[in-house]
Amino acid sequence: MEVNVSFNLNGKKVSVTAPPAKSLLRVLREDLGITSVKPGCEAGECGACSVLLDGQVVTSCLVMISQVDGKNVITVEGLQKDGELDPLQKSFIDEGATQCGYCTPGFIISAKGLLNENPNPTDEEILEGVSGNICRCGAYPRIFNAIKKVVKKNVI
Amino acid sequence: MSYEKVEVYSPRSLAEALEILSQKKEHIKPVAGGTDVMVMLKDGVVKEKELLNLSYISELSYIKEKESRILIGAATKYREIRRSPIINAYAPILIEAVRQIGSPQIQNLGTIGGNLGTASPAGDSIPPLYVLNARVKLQKIGTSREVQIDKFFLGPRKTVKEPDELITEISVDKMEPGSYYFFEKLGLRSANAISIVSAAGIINLENKTVKYLRLSLGAVAPTVIRATDAEEEAKGKELSEDLIDRIAKLASEATKPISDIRGTAEYRKKATYGIVYEALYRIFKGYGKKIEYGFEKTS
Repeated sequence: MEVNVSFNLNGKKVSVTAPPAKSLLRVLREDLGITSVKPGCEAGECGACSVLLDGQVVTSCLVMISQVDGKNVITVEGLQKDGELDPLQKSFIDEGATQCGYCTPGFIISAKGLLNENPNPTDEEILEGVSGNICRCGAYPRIFNAIKKVVKKNVI
Repeated sequence: MSYEKVEVYSPRSLAEALEILSQKKEHIKPVAGGTDVMVMLKDGVVKEKELLNLSYISELSYIKEKESRILIGAATKYREIRRSPIINAYAPILIEAVRQIGSPQIQNLGTIGGNLGTASPAGDSIPPLYVLNARVKLQKIGTSREVQIDKFFLGPRKTVKEPDELITEISVDKMEPGSYYFFEKLGLRSANAISIVSAAGIINLENKTVKYLRLSLGAVAPTVIRATDAEEEAKGKELSEDLIDRIAKLASEATKPISDIRGTAEYRKKATYGIVYEALYRIFKGYGKKIEYGFEKTS
C-alpha cells in the first residue's frame, strides 16, 4: 500500500514512494534526507516542521504525502541562492536569534512566508506571522529583531 | 489505525469523490486540510481504513454572493476566507473567528467544511456560523439537501451527515449594515489554542434600542448553542449596563459545560458571563466593531 508522488523540492524535481498517509514531515526527513524540518509536537502546534507549500507556510506534519503531488515545497535548505544565504538566515545569525536551534528553521520559513506575501509587515503582523512557532529557549526578542532588521532593509 | 495501514483516495472531481463515497460509505473518512485528521491519525483514533483526500478538488473552493446570502465551498481554506473581499464586506464576524482559529500554518491548510466535519463544540468557525444563520449543504450521488446549522450537529463529533454524503457548501446571511459584531475566545495562547469558552454575537441597534441580538456560545455544551433566552431578553430594550448584565447571566445559564483539562464547568459558566458582558459593554461604550459595507463590490 504505497503511493508514488512527484513534486518540486527546493527547485529540484523529486519522486518518492511512501505509504499514502505518511506525513510530508516524515517523508522529508526519512525518505529525502531533509532534516531541517523538525518533529516537535507533530500536531501542528509548535511550527518546527514548517515548510512553504506552493509559497504558503504550512506545518508539514499535517500534510499527507498524497496531498503534495505536483506541488512546490521549500525548506531552509532551499533558501540560499548561489551559495549566498537568504537575508533572513544572515539576520538570524547576526542577531544571535538561535539558542538550541531546534525551532530556528521553522521560524525562518514562517518569516519567509510572511515576507513573500507582505514585504513590509508591521510589528503586529510580524508577531502574528510567527505565532504558530514556539521557541522553548525563549529567544523571541532576538527572533523578532532578526526579522525586523530584514523588514527595515526591505523598506529602504 | 496507524498511517502505514491507511489507503488514500485522491479524486480530482466532486463527481468522482461522491462515487467513491457511495461505495465505501462509513469505511472511508473525508480529509480536506488534514489539520484534525492527521492529529487523529497520529493518536491512533481514526477507525476508518481509508481516507478520501479532497485537496485536489478545486470546484469545492469558492466564495460567491447570491442575493442576501454568501455561498462558501466546503474546501475553502481559512486563508481564502480571511482574504475574501465578499466576506470582509458582508460577514466580517467570520474573519474575526478565522484570525483566532489558528496560526498562519493552520489557516493555510484548514477548511471551513473540515471544521464542520470534525464537529467539535470548540470549533471556532462554528459560533459565527450560528449567528449568520448558516445552512450546510450535504451532497451525495444524484441528490443534495440543506440543513440548518443548529440541526446539523448532534453532539461532540456527531452530525446528521450520512456516510455517503459530503459537506459541499456552507451558505450564510449577509450581515445588515450598521450591525455590531464580536467573536471572543478564551484560550491559553493567541495561536493554535483550543477554545475554553467562545462567543459570537451580532447586535442591531436602532438608536440605543436593540432591534435584535443573535448570540452563540462555543465549548460550553455538547454542541455550539444559541443563547435564545438572552436574545429574547434583549429584543426591543434599550441597551444599558443593567440589560447587558441580564443578557450575560442568561447566556451563562444557557450553558451545559463539562470539566476537562482546559477548564472546569464552573469556570466555563463564569467565563461565559464575563466574555459576553465585556463584548456587549464595549459596544455599549462605543468601542465595538460595526459593519459598514465599506468595500467596493469586486464580484
